Amino acid sequence: MELFRDTNIDFMKYRKFWIILSLVLVLGGLYAIFGPHRLNMGIDFAGGTQMTLGFQQEPDLARLRRVFEREGMAAATIQRFGKAGDNQVLIKTTTSHQGEEGSRDKIVAALNREFNPGKTGLDLNLAGADALVGLLVKADPDRVAAQGQPAAIAHYNAVADAILKARHDAGLFKSLDSLARVPGVSPAVATTLQQQAHLGTFDVLGVESVGPQIGGELRRQGFLAVVMSMLGMLAYIWFRFELRFGIGAVMASLHDVVVTLLFFWAFGLEFNLTTIAAFLTLIGYSMNDTVVIFDRMRENMRKSRRKPLIEVMNDSINQTLSRTIMTSGLTFLSVVALLIWGGDVLRGFAFVMTVGIIVGTYSSIYVASPFALLWESLFGVGGRWGNKTLTPGRGGAPAERAESRIDRTTGGDVTPSTRQRPARRRA
Amino acid sequence: MNRTLLWRGLLILAVAVVCVALAYPPKKKINLGLDLQGGMHLVLQVHTEDALRAETDTDMARLIDLGKDKGAPGLQGRRTGDRQFTITAPTPEARDAASELVSKYLPRWQVQRQDESLVFTMTDQAAAEVRTSAVNQAKQTIDNRINAYGVTEPVIQAASGNRIVVQLPGVDDADRVRKLIKSTAFLEFRIVRVPKGGGGMASREELLAALGGSVPPDLEILEGDQRDRETQAVTGKYYYAVEKRRTVTGRDLSNARPGQGQFGQPIVEFTLKPAGAEAFGELTGKNVGSGLAIVLDGRVVSAPVVNSRISDRGQIEGGFTAKSAQDLSTVLRSGALPASITYLEERTVGPSLGRDAIRDGLRAGLLGTFLVMLAMVIYYHLSGVNAVLALVLNVLILFGGMGMFHSTLTLPGIAGVILTIGMAVDANVLVFERIREEMRAGRTVRSAIDLGFERAFTSIIDTHVTTVISALFLFQFGTGPIKGFAVTLIIGLIASIFTAVFVSRWLFDLVLSRRRVQRLSIGAKA
Repeated sequence: MELFRDTNIDFMKYRKFWIILSLVLVLGGLYAIFGPHRLNMGIDFAGGTQMTLGFQQEPDLARLRRVFEREGMAAATIQRFGKAGDNQVLIKTTTSHQGEEGSRDKIVAALNREFNPGKTGLDLNLAGADALVGLLVKADPDRVAAQGQPAAIAHYNAVADAILKARHDAGLFKSLDSLARVPGVSPAVATTLQQQAHLGTFDVLGVESVGPQIGGELRRQGFLAVVMSMLGMLAYIWFRFELRFGIGAVMASLHDVVVTLLFFWAFGLEFNLTTIAAFLTLIGYSMNDTVVIFDRMRENMRKSRRKPLIEVMNDSINQTLSRTIMTSGLTFLSVVALLIWGGDVLRGFAFVMTVGIIVGTYSSIYVASPFALLWESLFGVGGRWGNKTLTPGRGGAPAERAESRIDRTTGGDVTPSTRQRPARRRA
Repeated sequence: MNRTLLWRGLLILAVAVVCVALAYPPKKKINLGLDLQGGMHLVLQVHTEDALRAETDTDMARLIDLGKDKGAPGLQGRRTGDRQFTITAPTPEARDAASELVSKYLPRWQVQRQDESLVFTMTDQAAAEVRTSAVNQAKQTIDNRINAYGVTEPVIQAASGNRIVVQLPGVDDADRVRKLIKSTAFLEFRIVRVPKGGGGMASREELLAALGGSVPPDLEILEGDQRDRETQAVTGKYYYAVEKRRTVTGRDLSNARPGQGQFGQPIVEFTLKPAGAEAFGELTGKNVGSGLAIVLDGRVVSAPVVNSRISDRGQIEGGFTAKSAQDLSTVLRSGALPASITYLEERTVGPSLGRDAIRDGLRAGLLGTFLVMLAMVIYYHLSGVNAVLALVLNVLILFGGMGMFHSTLTLPGIAGVILTIGMAVDANVLVFERIREEMRAGRTVRSAIDLGFERAFTSIIDTHVTTVISALFLFQFGTGPIKGFAVTLIIGLIASIFTAVFVSRWLFDLVLSRRRVQRLSIGAKA
């Protein structure tokens, strides 16, 4: 099988259209980042508390919302989590003024009043090992107190651990009868617990609290890491290729991040630390794609020095088209699999990659190269803001001429500087 | 088979074997991050100014004590900042003597005269040392407590900004851990002056009335819980007027362990070090018949009556459960925290959440990888099989590398794995497409392969180096998850260069060496 054999598409022909399209998308992305309807920042960056709860029955979200409104936590986000049968709910509250310590207890207390009214004593679905061991040592159903306090504590510690493990495996206990089937739990213990404890209707599966201070730091550090890594890539491409290519590649990557953010924002997904990893992956991927095409351009520029840059670009994109489509297609395949079957935790990641691969492939062709051209026309030798003081002998062309080269679709009269550069670089 | 081919094959085999050895069994060799295996992640802020204040108080008291013997009696001190105190002296001579004493015995203080008093400020260097040692001591204390709690492979690290990062895999009893870590566990024994004869008073007003309306300067009022003797349930509050002087504190303990009281209720038994025992004996001996308040973190836990002189052992009652008695023993043994602590970040991932994430992610990842491999074979025929082998080896090396560096696999790390696989596939695609191109140009199989590898090589190196550079920066400047991503990416990319350039090439050469190949199975029309 062979697709895209010897294609000859004039990719650069409508580059103005593509640049305008990209600009519109980038403006949209900037609106998503800085606009009034901000990106849905996760607690990692905004601070706050996020809890995952498991319920015995299908949870009633409207009722949950009423509870939070009553408690003065109206800003809480409440949504379903996991698969349908799991009865899981994700609750996110914004940073409170007193910081995040104690938020968890406050939420659990409020939910207890609503969903477990009138029940007192030990809630087996919420209790930690501490309370459970306390109850068991006091009741001593296994009659081990005679062996002394430390031995009794050790014995019931093991029992409590077995019970908690069973709870973790099941998500939460649905009935007290299931206790008897937990390995390591004697019938006497099961009976005692059935008498002295009760089952609440929900269990806390996970809690994350991030103070506002940390949120701000994570934001700054994430930003710094991304910016520094981009500068690092720019420097390498500058060293290996030329500055204009480095600029083109970095511009393409920035474009991909901003445009993908636009879609991310439009779908209302949550921006958190995992998403940062997704965007980093996207940058790596897009850079990879761009560098492959640039690499081909460098090779073609050496081979046929008389050809105008724009033609070299077109040829190179065509020659690598088969590989571009193949690689993008394959990677696309695996991230779509992740998007469909990867579960809730990976969804944000998979979404970024799915959109990002499309955007990244597009940008390698329609953003990176045109930008390299644009950079050349503006800052290159003879460019509008470029170095105009070169001696005529070295091929310093007047600005108008450089511009006319850019405006022409096939660029028939390329300036000598473009032809000489690769040669100089190779020497 | 020629010799170099054999050596190359052996090298590849050796790499594969080493990586299997490093990564097998994966459950033991590859650490899963807390997001995948469940557990607690905490970032604690150590309020080091507490330690500074304590040091300031100690040094100020020491100066006043020194002054009594060494020519500057009657000094009066007042702490005027976290690391600053002001001394007023009765005479100018005493003031000068105090100034001398500080430069002689307390060199970390800078003296400044302000009107008639002296202002002492701790030097920046000394203050920084106090802060660092407070963080280290807090870290050590938390370490002891966590170890007693029995967590496998906890991570407790000091971080910049006077912080401590604690990671406890497999733990999700958040309440208990929080209490265990946070209790400063500052234990003191103080004599109760009012009410005499043990017990407390039910209200502050009553106590103030008994004191005659105001609290004398050497006393202070502390509160504690009033408990039912049998059930230990809290029934109200008790107030005590205790001496400010603290002769014996938790630092004097040599051991503490849970025990059983006379009604079978859990208690904490302690023994004192020799020096502490002497002081404790003197304190209790002088105050037979008075209440002895056992004060933990500023609250009276219990206030039994001293019946006789007690020297080296005693017990604390205070409505404990079996576990809380055990935990209090633990924190008493581990020593007091030098400063208070607040939680900046707390993440508890229940094991079931992490397990779901792994299961779904693994299934989708395997399916995706399988689809990619299938597509490679369909599109590139036997050469695709070659790429699949290289890919498998790549993943193997990646996990071997992770096993070697004891790195932790997290969700962002999995993202790194996916990017790595993508780039490894890409490297193969680059080579194959190039070979096809060369064959279209009419070259023989042999030279098409040679040229294909040679020309694709610069692309492969450039793409990989670009990404490695970015990963290095991410590693340098990133935090936890970003670092995890960077580490898997760096290992994976090195593996990718090896497999795409070296292994894949070897497989081609191996096939070519066996027979004269006229047609290459790479999915291209001849």
